[in-house]
Amino acid sequence: MGARMSSEMPGFGLATVLAVGIQILGAAFLYLILKAEGGWQVIGLLALLAAGFYLIEKRPQITEYVTASFSRVPVVALVTAVIVVVLFPFAVGNNTYVLHLLIVAQLYAVLALALNFQLGSANIPNFATGASYGIGAYVSALLAINFGLSFWLTLPAAAIAATLFGFLIGIPSMRTRDTYLALVTIAFGVVVQQLLNNFDWTGGPNGLVGIPAPSLFGHSFADPLVVFGWKLPSQANFYYLSALLVVVAIITAHRLHSSRIGLAWNALRADEIAARAQGINVAWFKVLAFAVDAFLAAFAGTIYAFYVSYISPDNFTFLVSVTIMTMVIVGGMDNIFGVIVGAFLLTILPEKLRAFSDYRLLFFGIVIIGFLMIRPQGLFPQRIRSYGESR
Amino acid sequence: MSALLEVTDATMRFGGLVALNAVSFSIGRGEVLAVIGPNGAGKSTLFNVVTGVYRPTSGQVRFDDADITGRPSHEVVARGIGRTFQTSRLFSDLSVLDNVIIGMHTRTKTGVLGALFLPGASRREMAACVETAEILLKASSGDLFEQRHRPAGTLAQADRRRLEIARALASEPKLLLLDEPSVGMDEVETDALIADISRLRTERPELSVILIEHDMRVVEAFPDQVMCVDYGSKIAEGDFARVKSDPRVQEAYLGKAAVHA
Ligand SMILES: Nc1ncnc2c1ncn2[C@@H]1O[C@H](COP(=O)(O)OP(=O)(O)OP(=O)(O)O)[C@@H](O)[C@H]1O
Ligand SMILES: [Mg+2]
Repeated sequence: MGARMSSEMPGFGLATVLAVGIQILGAAFLYLILKAEGGWQVIGLLALLAAGFYLIEKRPQITEYVTASFSRVPVVALVTAVIVVVLFPFAVGNNTYVLHLLIVAQLYAVLALALNFQLGSANIPNFATGASYGIGAYVSALLAINFGLSFWLTLPAAAIAATLFGFLIGIPSMRTRDTYLALVTIAFGVVVQQLLNNFDWTGGPNGLVGIPAPSLFGHSFADPLVVFGWKLPSQANFYYLSALLVVVAIITAHRLHSSRIGLAWNALRADEIAARAQGINVAWFKVLAFAVDAFLAAFAGTIYAFYVSYISPDNFTFLVSVTIMTMVIVGGMDNIFGVIVGAFLLTILPEKLRAFSDYRLLFFGIVIIGFLMIRPQGLFPQRIRSYGESR
Repeated sequence: MSALLEVTDATMRFGGLVALNAVSFSIGRGEVLAVIGPNGAGKSTLFNVVTGVYRPTSGQVRFDDADITGRPSHEVVARGIGRTFQTSRLFSDLSVLDNVIIGMHTRTKTGVLGALFLPGASRREMAACVETAEILLKASSGDLFEQRHRPAGTLAQADRRRLEIARALASEPKLLLLDEPSVGMDEVETDALIADISRLRTERPELSVILIEHDMRVVEAFPDQVMCVDYGSKIAEGDFARVKSDPRVQEAYLGKAAVHA
């Protein structure tokens, strides 16, 4: 019964229908929840989502079958994804608030993917991703404001600066572990935030204002985006930019995960002593995880700074790091798709729960606990690598 | 030519406890050395000192004409010493195949930049690893090969042992250290293990093996060089017949532990 179904490969036609249909359904659901107003609509949609996850928890073959369908028709799946992402702002129209939420969700998806290298792949707790995010934002903002550097040049500069910071926090990870390491990263995060607060040249608690909007081929990102006569609000520029960054983050995550680097991280996650006995330089691979995390987080920080054009230390608090961590845990450790879903859910949910005013945080907590009870391993748990074989 | 591994006066203290007391021995290429001794004698500590898990309090470890005393584990593996652990240490949430591929870590070289910017090379490297790993698994046991896509944690005890050996072989070692490979095996499985090790020796005549064993049937199968350790000191050495009849060994070992011979 169950076993037979999972061993059956979906045919080409059915796989196509599934790969296209599920993505459109997913996009429709995202659209509905973004547009939902009032408590009941949100509760209804959450209940639907919970029912969906309950179903795939009880029937794991469904996930298997769907995954098999997607890998059966990779090109169709990819083209559909691109079309959905490109067309989404057209469906949203002039609702700048929804576009804003989507931009933030995408930036958080990048941050969560960044942290996933550590928390997911290597099981290293890092409460300083928010700090790397902040360093990226500040470095690029300072370069743009003080030296008039263009956005595109500040991107790599910020990434390099944050990567160096990543190496720096990584060093204690060679000697400390688990809870102690978590404390060290918390300390780093707090120190960075305090420094941003106290330096003069970072603007102190007031932060930096007047970060100029990026431009590309003469088109300023502060202007509305006009495509074939369709006029999209200026936020659409940043929507596409952050979508591009998500793609970069996914490719980075995928390439590292499927290389020997990802395996080495997984090995030290499972058993450090055994990992050493396979020739893995555990200390170095831990530091590497910190560096890669900071590198990607800095990209997200740069886009954020240029998007809101105003940053302050409050944007990069310890709480931001905790949020990113929750996204990885709820979404599914070491699962690229799961981590992105976690980031979207945890960005959008608190906004949508505003209808519950004073009970918002309580309700948010309940929803998160509820999802973790339905899917204890995260919404989309880690998968065994398959190496392109169909059995 | 000099010995492949040469341990000289290795001493390991943990606080007041002397786990190894000036132990010296050596093993040449293609040889098998069996290490026996009662529980807590210091056998596993000896492996840990050789593989760099512990840095010896004093003494020297030379391997392949280089001093490796206290070198970190990952470097020791790269130099050609593979090992298994007494209580199996598999990467249980990864597939059987991935466990073996991780064993090839020192024989592969893609770095972060390579993985990101030369994905083709990285993919080819992994494909080659999959191929080699499948050959290793097939050679180890057809049963294990069939289960290669399952998490290693779901394997039965005997298969876990086989997988640990296959993983250690994946690093193409010159010296293989097996810490009580027969633990938890029944008679049939132990016989299979003996056959596996013998086959390994014919397939790789250059490979040296050090074997910690409690099961005398296994030691009997590789009787040429046996060394007995008790309270951290080497108390006897020679072929199995000689070690077995040594009065100190009888007192230390045969008196205490149950011998199924
Ligand atoms: N890391 C350590 N810290 C303190 N004592 C240790 C440590 N490792 C081993 N020992 C002690 O050293 C002694 C030798 O231990 P070892 O594990 O080498 O024995 P063994 O010969 O392998 O025994 P068994 O046959 O039970 O595996 C034991 O008394 C053990 O408690
Ligand atoms: Mg032992």
